[in-house]
Amino acid sequence: MDRTACVDLPALPLQVLLLGRPGWASGPAAVVGRGRIRWANRAARRAGVRPGTGHAAAVAACPALRAAPVAAAEIATARGRALAVLRGFSPAVEPAGGAAGTFWLDATGLERLYGSVDRWAREVAGAVEALGLRARIAVGFTRFGAWAAARAGLGRGRVVFADPGQEGAAVGRVPLARLGLAPGLTTTLERLGITTVAAFAALPAGGVRERFGPEALRLHRLATGRAWAPLVPPPDTALPVAAARFDHPEDRTDRLLFRIKERLDPLLRQMAGRGEAVAELRLGLGPGREERIRPAAPACDGRRLLDLVRLRLEAAAPAGPVEELRLTAVPVRRQPVQVELFAARPRRDPDAAARALARVRAELGNGAVVRAVLRDAHLPEARFAWEPLDGPLPGPRPRAVGMRPVVRRLLDRPVPAPEAARAPTVAGPFEVSGGWWHREVRREYRFVRGPAGLWWVFRAGGRWYRHGEGP
Amino acid sequence: MVPARRLARDPPRDAWALGALAGRLAELSGPGGGSCLSPAFALVWDAQRQGEPAAWIATAGGTFFPPDAADVGVDLAALAVVRAPDARRALRAAGRLVQSGGFGLVVLDLGRAPVPVPDQARLAGLADRHRVAGVCLTRKSPEAPSLGPRVSVRAEAVWERAGPGRFRCRVQTLKDRLGPAGRASAEVLRGPDGLR
Repeated sequence: MDRTACVDLPALPLQVLLLGRPGWASGPAAVVGRGRIRWANRAARRAGVRPGTGHAAAVAACPALRAAPVAAAEIATARGRALAVLRGFSPAVEPAGGAAGTFWLDATGLERLYGSVDRWAREVAGAVEALGLRARIAVGFTRFGAWAAARAGLGRGRVVFADPGQEGAAVGRVPLARLGLAPGLTTTLERLGITTVAAFAALPAGGVRERFGPEALRLHRLATGRAWAPLVPPPDTALPVAAARFDHPEDRTDRLLFRIKERLDPLLRQMAGRGEAVAELRLGLGPGREERIRPAAPACDGRRLLDLVRLRLEAAAPAGPVEELRLTAVPVRRQPVQVELFAARPRRDPDAAARALARVRAELGNGAVVRAVLRDAHLPEARFAWEPLDGPLPGPRPRAVGMRPVVRRLLDRPVPAPEAARAPTVAGPFEVSGGWWHREVRREYRFVRGPAGLWWVFRAGGRWYRHGEGP
Repeated sequence: MVPARRLARDPPRDAWALGALAGRLAELSGPGGGSCLSPAFALVWDAQRQGEPAAWIATAGGTFFPPDAADVGVDLAALAVVRAPDARRALRAAGRLVQSGGFGLVVLDLGRAPVPVPDQARLAGLADRHRVAGVCLTRKSPEAPSLGPRVSVRAEAVWERAGPGRFRCRVQTLKDRLGPAGRASAEVLRGPDGLR
């Protein structure tokens, strides 16, 4: 029988606030947002501070109140940490939408691993509490039942239902006020004498929609078991990482490679099991040194990846002994390759070419294998850029032109050439300017006769420079 | 005695064409830094036209001006460029690319850097095995010796004015192991904008 558990982190924004300010927990404390109280702890509520009250009014009612806003990023971080911990206890964990600290877990079959469902629930709660967060957990048979039991804090925050009947009976008695529903809905239902889940579930479905709206109908369908949806865990976006710290720092490349292989192989097996391949391997060799290695195509081939690592380490050995190692793999989904029976084969193997370029890239650095892209600019050096070339080369599509132009050589940097002032001018001057939005550059270009062909020179600021060469 | 290779191959009309250079280590030299680029890019264009992937390996200092190469009609997106810090690493990169068999043309823009004989032998052997045209661009006068004994064909780029804004580039074969020396191919090219 399927088991569904719900872990609820009550008043998560308040918990995050007090986690960051432990000294506030002993007195009245609250979370404010847009000038209003959003969450208040028990001490604050006893002093008359209610959610929705203006901040100033709350301070007037409770001068000892300590209140502060909590950034959405902080709440997201806390949720993320809780999610990461819960993933260690269930193969499917689905966080509730929005900023609520509610998670559903698939608890089916886990008693075989932990001995009993109770023990599993205890360990889950303990792991979350180790993060400094208070959690309520309920293990039941339905999404709604587990959720309602957790939100209401049944069993003092930890309950495991033995059968669906027990779950139904216990959840039926839960007061609606403890479920955190929209205040207007709860108040309306209370005025009609509907104060428990069972009473709410007993209402006719058509009347619920008509009287209380679509949100109430959705809740009604969940409570009566008419709506069911499987758990949909979000994809795990954490990058696979393997790290190690060496008792004896490694100063030899061959031994370092062996250490890397020891960590790389399990990482690749883990990724292959998820249907992922390595698009980029980041090699951390201590503080301030990280090498990024990109294979020709996303790969799970440890031998090939290790070969690229070897080329990089041989080309640029670490400055000193390596004390710690960190491997981070940037994954991509492996794409199945469709085999075509009568596919036209290119004369050259593009994958072999891409692998060779990847080896060159590993040896010379990620910026060594490039292609030129043209830009719309005036200064010669701004009219193009070198773009890193990753992956296989596309099939070439050259254009036919009438009369081909001369191809010039452009120097990486203009070189001072005072002799150009005396060289015979073949063409020019041509004034070229650019970069006016940043730092305007004006140059007077000419073609002059150099010792072995044409020189492409310019004058700027009264000085002559050689920028390129022609035929 | 006629080498078997010569019998197996029709004598090419143009000594400086991709078909004639496939499987060989070639050298194209010229006196200036820009002398060899235009005929080299004619080869790149020819390779791309035949669907052969091409790679260009340059060393530090300067390389071809990409807008000019694009005006030749070369597909820059399909031209792999390796920027090596020195000639030694450029040669290693060339060896890797030729050995892969994935390229039909690999151009090594070396300038004045020498190529050690063992590297020449290795490149020549790999080019032959994988039917790759390996072309080294060097900067030297025609009287200077070629890179070495493993260069199968050496040509020189000779330039002269051919009218307003026009240049004639003649590629003259100085040495060819598989054919007679002295053959030449010529092309008239237009100069850069503004050059008259």
